[in-house]
Amino acid sequence: MTVKLTERMQAWIEKMGCHLCVATPQGVPYVALGRYARVTGEDEVAFALAKDELSVIYPALSVNPWVAFGVSHQGGIRASFQFKGIGHLVKEGPLFDNIAKDAEAVDTYAVLYVKISEIYCTKPGAEAGQRLDIMSPDEVCDWEKVRWKDIPRK
Amino acid sequence: MVKFTEEMKDGLRVPGKGGSLVYLCTSSLDGKPNIAAMRFVATHMEDKILIADMFLLKTKMNIKENPNVTVAICHPLKEGRWWAFKGKAVDIEYGFPRDFDWYGANATDILNEWGDWNRSEPPEEVPPDIVFPKAAQRGVVVVHVEEAYSIEPGHAGEKIL
Repeated sequence: MTVKLTERMQAWIEKMGCHLCVATPQGVPYVALGRYARVTGEDEVAFALAKDELSVIYPALSVNPWVAFGVSHQGGIRASFQFKGIGHLVKEGPLFDNIAKDAEAVDTYAVLYVKISEIYCTKPGAEAGQRLDIMSPDEVCDWEKVRWKDIPRK
Repeated sequence: MVKFTEEMKDGLRVPGKGGSLVYLCTSSLDGKPNIAAMRFVATHMEDKILIADMFLLKTKMNIKENPNVTVAICHPLKEGRWWAFKGKAVDIEYGFPRDFDWYGANATDILNEWGDWNRSEPPEEVPPDIVFPKAAQRGVVVVHVEEAYSIEPGHAGEKIL
């Protein structure tokens, strides 16, 4: 299946940042903020994390790479999606520098790249939980445009 | 034992009454996380968070097999609500024994007060294009909070309860 974030999804993710949820292999969830987010590929998002923010999720993430995230602030309402994928941490090198230099509000200690493999609708109602990554990218765009047209400005 | 502050009680209400939208974070038993936003939220007793089960799907499946959850503020209408609450949850659905008890919270009391949430606290502040067309409540998720930590930048991970 091809996962491709729509323009609207990308805008909300980058404008608002995200709440990141990870879990231990035994199923204990932890939450941290990905205050700075940048879409780095059609199916990939990078988050700049400060040391204290990483410390919340690292014990789980280091043994279980699954990451689920939703858009923070107003995005929790207007961008009612859940994204899931496999995360990997980078603490140095070009992939780190690429994000850290632009994440001015974050004292970046590590960058979390998440390769998205699943997208769900979380709008309350009959479509809650509907899986969107099984549609073609064009179908997802059409589905979304019927429901929402608001794209936040940076 | 955890005891919510007044500030937390103010924040853990529906946005229409000045509270905040929250993210309810769960996990399958084998560690696949799930995160979904919730509008209908309230506190109960001194250490319980209540959330309406209206259209829960994966969240409910996870809670059925694994009660460990985290509730975090995702849409803070006021600054300073940097909270994440950890605890154990159950989804008290219609059909549960009315004397069912979850860490001191009683199914009858909760369903009587919160079982028709959309009617008692309608989502009047929700824009028409995103309001849900039909609210069909199936129960109430009761979170017994055991600890809370900060998600404030610079203090993330610090224990606050």
